[in-house]
Amino acid sequence: MRPDLTDGHTVHFHGFPNAVPAFDGVPELSVGVPYGRSYTYYYRPHDPGTYKYHCHFEDIEHVSFGMTGIVFIRPAADDKWAYNDSSTAFDREFALLLGEVWTQERWEGAHIQEHDWSDYDPDYWTINGRVYPDTLEPNSDPMTTPAIPRLQYQPISSLITCNSNDKVLLRFSNLGFQRQAMRVDGLTLRVIGKDAKFLGPLAYDTDTVDISAGETFDVLFTAPTVTTPTTYLLYNRKLAYLNNGGLPGLGGQMTEIRVSPSGVPAQGEPNT
Amino acid sequence: MRSLVSKSLRATLLTLTLVLVVAAASPITSLSAQAPGEISIVCENETAPGIYNNAVSLVTQDGYIGIPDGNTVYMWGYALDVDIDLVAPGVQYGFQHPGPTLCFTEGQAVTITLTNLGFSQLPSLTDAVSIIFPGQTGVTHDDGTPGLFTGEADSGGGTVTYSFTASLPGTFIYGSGTDPQKQVQMGLFGAIIVRPTLGPNFLYNWTSTQFNPANDYMMLLSEIDPDLHWAVEQGLPYDITLFHPRYWLINGRSFPDTIAPNDAEWLPTQPYGALLHIEPFDAASSAFNYSAVRFLNVGMRNHPMHPHGDHIQVVGRDGRPLQGPLGEDLSYAEFGPVIGAGQTKDTLYNWEEIQLGPSGSLGLPTDIFEALNQFLLRPRDQNIMWGEWFSGSPYLGQTTDRPTGVTAQGECGEYYQIWHSHALHEAANYESGFGGMITLERIDPPGGCPP
Repeated sequence: MRPDLTDGHTVHFHGFPNAVPAFDGVPELSVGVPYGRSYTYYYRPHDPGTYKYHCHFEDIEHVSFGMTGIVFIRPAADDKWAYNDSSTAFDREFALLLGEVWTQERWEGAHIQEHDWSDYDPDYWTINGRVYPDTLEPNSDPMTTPAIPRLQYQPISSLITCNSNDKVLLRFSNLGFQRQAMRVDGLTLRVIGKDAKFLGPLAYDTDTVDISAGETFDVLFTAPTVTTPTTYLLYNRKLAYLNNGGLPGLGGQMTEIRVSPSGVPAQGEPNT
Repeated sequence: MRSLVSKSLRATLLTLTLVLVVAAASPITSLSAQAPGEISIVCENETAPGIYNNAVSLVTQDGYIGIPDGNTVYMWGYALDVDIDLVAPGVQYGFQHPGPTLCFTEGQAVTITLTNLGFSQLPSLTDAVSIIFPGQTGVTHDDGTPGLFTGEADSGGGTVTYSFTASLPGTFIYGSGTDPQKQVQMGLFGAIIVRPTLGPNFLYNWTSTQFNPANDYMMLLSEIDPDLHWAVEQGLPYDITLFHPRYWLINGRSFPDTIAPNDAEWLPTQPYGALLHIEPFDAASSAFNYSAVRFLNVGMRNHPMHPHGDHIQVVGRDGRPLQGPLGEDLSYAEFGPVIGAGQTKDTLYNWEEIQLGPSGSLGLPTDIFEALNQFLLRPRDQNIMWGEWFSGSPYLGQTTDRPTGVTAQGECGEYYQIWHSHALHEAANYESGFGGMITLERIDPPGGCPP
């Protein structure tokens, strides 16, 4: 799209404990990876929890442009626990990476124009790189054309499906620049971890999880017993962000939690 | 990606930035050689080690601060008045930004007298001024003129005296209670630190909050909309509802100025640095090497800070320890500490080598080129992106030759990590990245760099 660009890149493993600069991905404090070169990052996973990774090269731009992702470190005790504590056991897990799109800046980036980051003013709010109702579409493979072709390069679904009484883990991570308020009406959300640290006795119940830029939260809920399929909305209480570019109707950072009486197969991979 | 549109401007800014960076980094010496007060908190009312003057006189002043993009901003400030008799209205006297950091010992009876000397750069201004002390209890004032928040000092030499007992240990903000939406933004704020009776090397009366007094840091966060400052300077109206910050500061400085030492001579009105300078945590050491990092947010926005290196342990908030009614430990660790508007957070921090193990244990030779096999082409100096602060080795205390032409900020293979706002547009000076609300953490090899 922009073959004139020869930016370097890095990977910053955000929150990894006691990182060393050579493998922390800040190019000014280590090395950037030039166009056409490769670099191997070494680290030992220490503490279980939800982390994230992103490029730290000209980070305002490279993060905003989408060089972001989620990392889980699984506890040694059990792959189906969030932390090394049986109270964090889950049946299903879903990663929810929050982001924002400032289309003016993106247009300028695509058209070789300067932009002023202090004017930052996004107009789309995403979960896993999609806006509602695209968030409900299934996972896809970027190497093949999905049912909705425009989602080919946004392969990660945010649809949460589970059976009655399932314990569901939501791994929230915010790599936008704003503070969001992710909410579910009708369920109790138990916040069990923040920033890849088990909260233990500090765990708390809520219906809204406030998440600032750079934070992660691990949240458990137990699906209610239902006799018919029941849907709960997971949405940003900053209601103006439930919108797609100012168009009529709902959009933005919203997805659904669909609880079935039974029959949802055991989860193989996250977000399925 | 860099646009071609303003390449010459960018080049100018880059040059400026590099000059400042070089200047900023060079005076920083090893821990052992570090002069007292060169970095970390300076208690301006300290009369002898650990002894704090409890009768403080402050005056108003104004002046300019520098931003690393080349801009200057007109500010107001509190200044310490060591001898009020020498000062007359309209005389420039000791302007600094932010206001003086004041320290007290728990239980001290404090009086703070504010004299409104006006603003010497703009003597036509006739604003009354005042101080409020959020988090302190039992604050009273005498003389002064009644105001909405507190007693005020009128222009033309008016005074007001505030009194309180520093009954609660912790970190607090002080700032203007007069027209605060303007005056606080103009710079009328500072930090108050109350040391507990348990000892000056504790954050609270709580043994778990012990820290090394050589590593007592503050990060006072603020934001600047230059339009507001320009309007005040020009006597123009300003609509605060249009507040739109363009600069984001730590301790009144914007990166890379944040890593310059305290009282850097090239930052004459911005005396407080924000560099952390530590050694690795060593459980076997008798020295207690946790750092205290005190966050304060005097701005109007929340700032989501992100310390690279490791989590911080939050042990206090707004000058209150995170303990339950029975002394339960309610502290917590985070890598995304959000500092709300007007909030303070007292935290403990350390960095411990747990990633690499002994040299060679991950199979990494000390030469990063060999170790990581990432730069396949030779000669190795071509087409690389080498950070100025990079030692060249993954291992603490080891270095390799820098590529030709690369500026080297390091001294003995020490580590540098970045601490910054993760609202990444705040990690900028206006539109210029790698600036703003950023500082660095320097980790020396055990024992510090050799002299």
